[in-house]
Amino acid sequence: MTSITRRILLGSALALGLAGTAAAEYPERQITLVIPFAAGGSTDVVGRIVAERMGRELGQQIVVQNVGGAGGSLGAQQVAQADADGYTILMGTVATHALNPLILTQKPYDPVADFAPVSLLVLVPNVLAVNPELPVNTVQELIDLAKEQPLAYASSGNGTPLHLSGELFKSMAGVDITHIPYKGSGPALTDVLGNQVPIIFDNLPSASGHIASGKLRALGVTTAERAASFPDIPTIAETLPGYETYTWNALFAPAGTPPEAIETLAAAAKATMADPAVVERMAEFSATIVASGPDELAAHVQAEMAKWEPVVKDANVSLD
Amino acid sequence: MDLLSNLALGFGVASSLANLAFCLIGVLLGTLIGVLPGIGATATIAMLLPITFQLEPVSSLIMLAGIYYGAQYGGSTTAILINMPGESSSAVTAIDGYQMARQGRAGTALATAAIGSFFAGTVATFLVAIFAPPLTAIALKFGAAEYFSLMVMGLVMSVALAHGSVLKALAMVVLGLLLGMVGTDVYTGAPRFTMGITQFADGLNFVAVAVGVFGIAEILRNLEDEHDREVMTKNISRLFPTRDEFRQMIAPVLRGTGIGSVLGILPGGGAILASFASYTVEKKLSKHPEEFGKGALAGVAGPESANNAGAQTSFIPLLTLGIPANPVMALMIGAMIIQGIVPGPNVVSEQPALFWGIVASMWIGNLMLVVLNLPLIGLWVKLLTVPYYILFPIIMAMCSIGVYSVNSNTYDLFAVAGFGLLGYVLSKLRCEPAPLLLGFVLGPLLEENLRRAMILSRGDPTTFVTRPISATLLVLSLAILVLVFLPQIRKRRDEVFTESDG
Amino acid sequence: MSTKPNDTTDIAAGLLFMAFAAFFGLQATGLEMGTSLRMGPGYFPAVLSAVLFLLGAVILFKALGRPDDEPFGRIAWRGILFILPAPIFFGLTVRGLGFVPALFITTLIASQASVRMRPLSALVLAIVVTIMSTLIFSYGLGLPFRRFGPWLPL
Repeated sequence: MTSITRRILLGSALALGLAGTAAAEYPERQITLVIPFAAGGSTDVVGRIVAERMGRELGQQIVVQNVGGAGGSLGAQQVAQADADGYTILMGTVATHALNPLILTQKPYDPVADFAPVSLLVLVPNVLAVNPELPVNTVQELIDLAKEQPLAYASSGNGTPLHLSGELFKSMAGVDITHIPYKGSGPALTDVLGNQVPIIFDNLPSASGHIASGKLRALGVTTAERAASFPDIPTIAETLPGYETYTWNALFAPAGTPPEAIETLAAAAKATMADPAVVERMAEFSATIVASGPDELAAHVQAEMAKWEPVVKDANVSLD
Repeated sequence: MDLLSNLALGFGVASSLANLAFCLIGVLLGTLIGVLPGIGATATIAMLLPITFQLEPVSSLIMLAGIYYGAQYGGSTTAILINMPGESSSAVTAIDGYQMARQGRAGTALATAAIGSFFAGTVATFLVAIFAPPLTAIALKFGAAEYFSLMVMGLVMSVALAHGSVLKALAMVVLGLLLGMVGTDVYTGAPRFTMGITQFADGLNFVAVAVGVFGIAEILRNLEDEHDREVMTKNISRLFPTRDEFRQMIAPVLRGTGIGSVLGILPGGGAILASFASYTVEKKLSKHPEEFGKGALAGVAGPESANNAGAQTSFIPLLTLGIPANPVMALMIGAMIIQGIVPGPNVVSEQPALFWGIVASMWIGNLMLVVLNLPLIGLWVKLLTVPYYILFPIIMAMCSIGVYSVNSNTYDLFAVAGFGLLGYVLSKLRCEPAPLLLGFVLGPLLEENLRRAMILSRGDPTTFVTRPISATLLVLSLAILVLVFLPQIRKRRDEVFTESDG
Repeated sequence: MSTKPNDTTDIAAGLLFMAFAAFFGLQATGLEMGTSLRMGPGYFPAVLSAVLFLLGAVILFKALGRPDDEPFGRIAWRGILFILPAPIFFGLTVRGLGFVPALFITTLIASQASVRMRPLSALVLAIVVTIMSTLIFSYGLGLPFRRFGPWLPL
């Protein structure tokens, strides 16, 4: 199935039937939200909460479709190639729109040229945590210990935001800690809870239960400011000024989507993120609501790519 | 007694009219989904997640759990009737279950599976209730070295899955391991054997491989001489097991329950091994090992019990630690987060009604399943009287939908066709698919843990023998190997096979 | 009993395993091997390929001079011709044509694999399967498939 034949067929279909209805109010049928990760992860949870509420806002159902694979690239690629009619949108993340394009040697899509930004929804903090048996209580103590003895940290996988958070930490702190990648947060957490690996970089939401119960000792959050849900956890930046990473979720449509559709979607996203029920869910989830417009998201993507490029380059060097 | 009051609380929650209804919906839907070839619990639960948003947390989790073990039941039905396992656990059931069906004993096989599963489910549910916290502590003792040794044991056991040449079975395991390597390397991100196809970056889809090498290969085999013979025996003798068969299944069910309960607790691959391990044990202990692979009752009873027990105990790490033991459990965690419950060790203390409600509903769900499924057996068996040329196009349609629904990945469907052809060729060469599938499932886990253990021990390979659990597992593996290759036993095996092959 | 002196089935099996081993082995040489302390992506597959090659060779060797005790049997050419393309067709068209037409044609293709299937019954079967599946999967379970795709001038 070449995309050219598809476009031709689509073009004729448009010419035949849809042209007459183009003036109809968007959206007139259900919208597909592609989540580029397997169901059950943090992006999936955010996506489903948003899809449900935003569908009510738009008066059309938003159907969630999980297209997992290749660290989010497959789902993003699918939306990049989808019809730019506003009926297929993507739940993009720092992985799909900053890290993957920098990491992958074969680039399946262009994060800027292939997408029309809609709205930056939330920022999710990451957290640096250790097994309580590791004799450190602060970021500084961890850095000191790492200088004395070899340590290892777990992450949800190679090239994930969490891995790169760890690499950024290493380069800023001037220490070497061995990276142990896992297939997702779950198995990584298991090994840290069982003290097979002493240190972990994880999303705050997935680690929060263990931090609250004391099975994990949180040393610092990765955001510039402390997380509202855990005001007692210092930021890593308090020890390493300038350190800042977070995971974010944003809506993207394929490039060429009519501006009216983008505006409708962005307005619906804003209304959704202002809903008290959603606000409460996001707070439980330790996510900070942004609900920006399209232009802010475009600027955000540029800024993120600029920020991560040197880290990715560094990490690649240290990986070899 | 704490336990009694907790269970009373749980049953109080689970037996509310609404929760009973959701439990019933869950197990019904799960059974339906499990029976349809190629569609697994993962896809269904993913589809239903948005609906659960509207429900009470406990109701939604009860329903999702119901789908999960309902699908396990249903999956065995498809494995027995049309040799199409939807999950790795039912791949083992397919070996002897399908042979029983071909001999007209489909009813017996299905009833055995249902009864074994119910018993195992009941025992395992009580294990969850009594031992959840201490068992979790054991599971956490398993690090990379332990998992590696456990996988080695699993591979050694896989030889028992073959009822033909041991050499060929070994070769199939290794081929399976290699196929499991397809995809992105976890440690470096380097793509391996993907032939430049990004869609294979996360590896070959299990459902696609299983449907291909088992199901499609079987359809092709059945089509090769349709002129000469009927595919399925139509003279179905009895639906239910005889008193004698009941006696035969007691011991395998008990052993299977034990094995499954223990292995199910281990997150990251333990439960996968449960049914394989049980099959191995039954074949080794059987007085008639030559019957295995040709319709042995114990080859259905043991693994089915193990599989269901493992399915129940795999809730232990989820409920006590918030750690998913498999993809379905990961979805359950997603469902909890959507409901605003943070999974983790605090769930038991902060949400006792939720925790014990789910535990109690497991038993209720298992009871519902057995009550639902025993009468359905007659219906399923009738399905076999549908002419094959009508049945297989339906199977193909269901497989196509099912495989595609997992990830909306077109290449998964190409893989179905490719593995169908491979499975057919291999079966013509008298190589059995079960060891290949086991290798395929274990391959990535084996490599991942081997490499992780070596990194963690800073390159010291003695880590596998200096850690006590790992060492024990390796000694056990060695013992099994010795048993398999001990000259006397070897000789008896060979006699058995020349007899049966000749 | 076959009168051939060699077990052709096992010879073929051995060769097939060796071919697979060669395929994976050659691909693995392109990957980094690393050291046994810190294994590269090619290390484990290379070891496995070597083992598989060895096993294949042993199976081949043992088959020589041993009679084949089970004939190879017929090959389901017609089945291969129609069964295998069915899922491929579904994959290629489900997005373009949409769920309903893609499934209908897929079932029709698969049903041609049997010589017993008559054209009319194949048509009826395909219609029934399509209607039932659309009801169950699209409406019942709410699978996110488009029922009729953009290739159709609807």
